[in-house]
Amino acid sequence: MSRYFRELSVAAVLALMLSALAVFAPSFFSPAPLLSRLAAEVPALVVALGMAAVMIGRQIDISVGSIFGLTAVLSGTLLANQVPLPLAVPLAILAGALFGSINGWLVSGLGLPSIVVTLATMVTGRELLSLWQQGRFISLPDGVQWFRLGQTTGQWTLIAVALLLVALLAWASRRLAAGRFVYAVGSDPEAARLAGIRPGAVTFGSFVLLGALAGFAAVLNLVQSPQVDPRAGGGLELKAIAAAVIGGVAVTGGRGRLWGVFLGLLLLTTINPALTYLRVEAYWEKAIQGTVILLAVVADRFQGKGGAK
Amino acid sequence: MILAAFLVAEFILFSATGRNFLQADNLANIVRHSTEIGLLALVMMPVILTGGIDLSVGSLLGLCAVLFGKMVQDAGLSPLVAGGITLLIGGVGGGFNALLITRLRLPPLIVTLGTFSLFRGLAEAITKGTATYSKFPESFLAVGSATFLGLPTQAWVLVVIASAIWLLVHRTTFGRTWRSIGFSPEGARYAGLPVERRIALAYVMAGLVAALAAIILTARVTQARADAGTGYELLAITAVVLGGTSIFGGTGSVHGTLLGVAAIAVLNNGLSRIPSIMGVSRELSGVLTGALLIAALAGGVMMKFLSGRRARRQTSHIPNTSSNA
Repeated sequence: MSRYFRELSVAAVLALMLSALAVFAPSFFSPAPLLSRLAAEVPALVVALGMAAVMIGRQIDISVGSIFGLTAVLSGTLLANQVPLPLAVPLAILAGALFGSINGWLVSGLGLPSIVVTLATMVTGRELLSLWQQGRFISLPDGVQWFRLGQTTGQWTLIAVALLLVALLAWASRRLAAGRFVYAVGSDPEAARLAGIRPGAVTFGSFVLLGALAGFAAVLNLVQSPQVDPRAGGGLELKAIAAAVIGGVAVTGGRGRLWGVFLGLLLLTTINPALTYLRVEAYWEKAIQGTVILLAVVADRFQGKGGAK
Repeated sequence: MILAAFLVAEFILFSATGRNFLQADNLANIVRHSTEIGLLALVMMPVILTGGIDLSVGSLLGLCAVLFGKMVQDAGLSPLVAGGITLLIGGVGGGFNALLITRLRLPPLIVTLGTFSLFRGLAEAITKGTATYSKFPESFLAVGSATFLGLPTQAWVLVVIASAIWLLVHRTTFGRTWRSIGFSPEGARYAGLPVERRIALAYVMAGLVAALAAIILTARVTQARADAGTGYELLAITAVVLGGTSIFGGTGSVHGTLLGVAAIAVLNNGLSRIPSIMGVSRELSGVLTGALLIAALAGGVMMKFLSGRRARRQTSHIPNTSSNA
């Protein structure tokens, strides 16, 4: 069995679904809606990449939706107060990294389980946000939407940015020492420590990376509409985790490839429209997401039992 | 101890600043409103005691509420029959978690995160996102606001379940087994304990009681909606951790959990009675609950760290031949 069995099987399922759609619902491939659908998924992809890094390091972060929402409102407020976009983007990334470092410190500094820590920061962040915004939308000034490039070019730009990020992070995770450290800590923290890696620092770093990516994703999301919705980002954590798990990231850490996560997100985002085209109602979205997560971990379990690595 | 002091401080603060906080009506109200969280916390506690976690209880509550509502309103079943079936469904939901966790040896975290999404999604699919069920017989709804022997009916349910779980955890071998699994699953297995069956029991109990909480919630709010119980898992986990149960498993007490529930419930209610912040009390108590959870977790770790250091200092005068720490 190939080394890439997991990723290739996701690609196969994706190809199967796309060809089924091509036969039964060719309108799925009409360029304009397809393009905006892909552009709309770019923020989720960026978050999923960071989530994969955290999960490969044997942790999890369910507060990303709150980080995303807080940085979206923060950068929206900045933009509405005439802060230029080139300055707002790094500030959003910085703010996201800052939120991520809180999680990272609680997890690696105090040795607390990431699930409970991020559950707490998720709720704290979400409620702080609704305390602050009370559900109000923020109107963005002209010139922010699509980076002033027009819709089609803007959408292509977003997709290009996303692909670039996938390539960069996939390369870094396999070829850079820092990337290898994450795998080492995820597969065995104690062995990693004995090899001279500081597991705490690696874990902290992965949470900061995820926070920064969530902040960046918030900007990539807000340029797509004239207003900032303070509730954007609800449920984002599940989507990111689902994409990572489908793409072959092991929940027990140490295994997974970022381009697999990319395929996982593509598969996940094809399921919903595909169901709509096949006349299944949209209310099933969460149920299907949950089922897919469970199926993916069960499949991993059996693959692991077969002894294939 | 700290928690009891915190609770007393809450009472003093809110009776000074809140409107009508200390009246009997309001105290009954606190009990009424905290029963669902209390029930979930009571069954979350054994799960956490084994070193696991159940994120799906809030979603399962929502699913059970919707199914209960549908059975009463659309199928015309009596609330008693429908309630029985709902409990069964809750048990099956919890059993599904247990099956994946014990048979397939999957991490509880990811399993219950998956069912967290699945159960809520099923509830939304059944109601198609909008439908609410509100055609319940008067006699059933009356239960939600009735009193029995001077106490709200919910208080009695809470007392019965709390006593049952207290006995189970503190006075039977089940509790002892849960504790030892949380302390060391391998050790428990080598000691010949039925580790899988005991873990499964904890998750099935969580499912059953989530269904019971769904029925009680429906009786209180007089309708069943797909978003019932959203976020309850966090409140339940917070109450358990505040109550001194280690999030890593192995130690904890049921009475501590009840104190934790009381602290959260009083906080919620008290904030909503301070006139100046009434409008935002829900958000504020959410922020404080999250912060409280982080503080409790951090406090637990600090305490362990300090007692560890003290123990080291006390033993440090013993000549140490193998100093490889």
